[in-house]
Amino acid sequence: MTPSTNQLVEHFFRHESANLVAVLTRAFGIHRIDLIEDMIQAALLEAMDAWKLGGVPDNPAGWIHRVAKNRLLDALRREKTHEKALEQSGRTADAQVIGEQESNIDGWLEEEHLPDSLLRMIFVCCHPSLERKTQIALTLKTLCGFGVSEIARGLLLPAETVKKRVQRAKRSLATANVQLELPTDEELAQRLDVVHDVLYLMFNEGYSTSHGTEPIRDDICEEAARLCHLLCESRCSSPATQALLALLLFHAARLDARTDAEGAVVLLEDQNRERWDRRLIVAAQSWLTRSKTDRPSTFHFEAAIAKQHCIAASVEETDWEAIVRLYTRLIQLCDSPVYALNRAIAVGQAGDLGEAMLQLQSLGSRKDMKNYLLLDCAFARIHELDGNTREAIDCYLVALSKAVAPHEKALLESKLRKLAD
Amino acid sequence: MAKFMFLQRGGCEERPEMSPEEMQAGMKAWMDWVKNGTDEGWLLDPGSGLGGGAVVEADLTVIDGPFAESKELVGGYSVVEASDLAEACEYAKQTMKIAGGGRIEVREIASHGMPEE
Repeated sequence: MTPSTNQLVEHFFRHESANLVAVLTRAFGIHRIDLIEDMIQAALLEAMDAWKLGGVPDNPAGWIHRVAKNRLLDALRREKTHEKALEQSGRTADAQVIGEQESNIDGWLEEEHLPDSLLRMIFVCCHPSLERKTQIALTLKTLCGFGVSEIARGLLLPAETVKKRVQRAKRSLATANVQLELPTDEELAQRLDVVHDVLYLMFNEGYSTSHGTEPIRDDICEEAARLCHLLCESRCSSPATQALLALLLFHAARLDARTDAEGAVVLLEDQNRERWDRRLIVAAQSWLTRSKTDRPSTFHFEAAIAKQHCIAASVEETDWEAIVRLYTRLIQLCDSPVYALNRAIAVGQAGDLGEAMLQLQSLGSRKDMKNYLLLDCAFARIHELDGNTREAIDCYLVALSKAVAPHEKALLESKLRKLAD
Repeated sequence: MAKFMFLQRGGCEERPEMSPEEMQAGMKAWMDWVKNGTDEGWLLDPGSGLGGGAVVEADLTVIDGPFAESKELVGGYSVVEASDLAEACEYAKQTMKIAGGGRIEVREIASHGMPEE
């Protein structure tokens, strides 16, 4: 026995599972998704057992597609026979439907047609009738092929919570009889806003908690960018989609440099910029160029800011004035205290420490910022730039008292040690 | 050199729900093990998993399925070559890492060939 040396591409099982869910659900409806997922799971297990002995076949995707499709069609036909025996109602139309869908499925599974089914599934998972958190969980499960426990680790949630969210989402979509259709031109803009939000938040979930010990979180970031790319390559996209992709890629370029060998977070100022992924930065720049429009979105400004960081040789050589200008326009578009906080830091980095401090103080009087530890970090940062080490230490200590996540605590402690030296 | 059979007992009934990513990783670990064992020459037959079956009794009656408790059930086998039991057990330890549960029984395959000259 000589197992084939044919190696599977990374995430092959996960992505094929997502492709199959999209195509088979398109054929038989969202109310069938549990059966469909079971059949795909069985097909993947069959592949795993067969290939580890006989080697990976020449066309592994085709192999899995065939097995999953046949398992599903068999299950549906058995069900029909059973129903018929019960009712004696001769539902030949159903057998006909199964037959018709069989040839549709073959076409939809062809490589060049797969994106179409995936796009439809994106709009289903980001259906406006679902809550944002549910949309994120369902997208990760259905379109990325993650398991429930992987999603739970990625989102820092109990597995039971993720499971319930996904089940509730499927039930509610089935009850509403949501079809796997692309939005009409009239509704596209509105539906796209939701998808953008979901992908943006999904990326953030992976990014904000990403550290070396949980590679799943990097995978979540990668998936958000992959789905966004899929949208950009379709007619279902807008300049905002392209700007979002640019933004995600600029951030993704810095993913590896954000953690050290022990998995601890490394701040922008301490990152080894040699480790930033040039390939991703170039791709991001080209998407940002393509996204030009008369009516820029928040993603356009966020991407432009991320770009300024990515093209700078160091924190000192960063064009902070340009970043302040971009934040000003961003705040005109969407008045968020988080943007205001970041603008204040940029103002300080640009040299106007007094103004930065004033802005932070006015933010500090806001009720919703009281427990926001990044505000204390921002105060500390401005004190640090001003040479007030003592005040900086005090602010970091306040931040430390508010920190919950272990990686935040570790980061603040290392910051404090540095300042105390 | 002697031949040994690895009998993988138990572990198969508690196969947890695997995610696609875990399946791919599990498969890769297995294929790496086969390649490594084959290249090094000690793995004679990576063997296979064993499915359901029947039991033929001494009175020639045939009964469905193996009866052992599930934790005693043989779920798969492999054949290796080693100079002694201790060496075979070292290979079994490598195998255990990809077995994902259960136990591996290492048994020498008795040879009844012609005596060596």
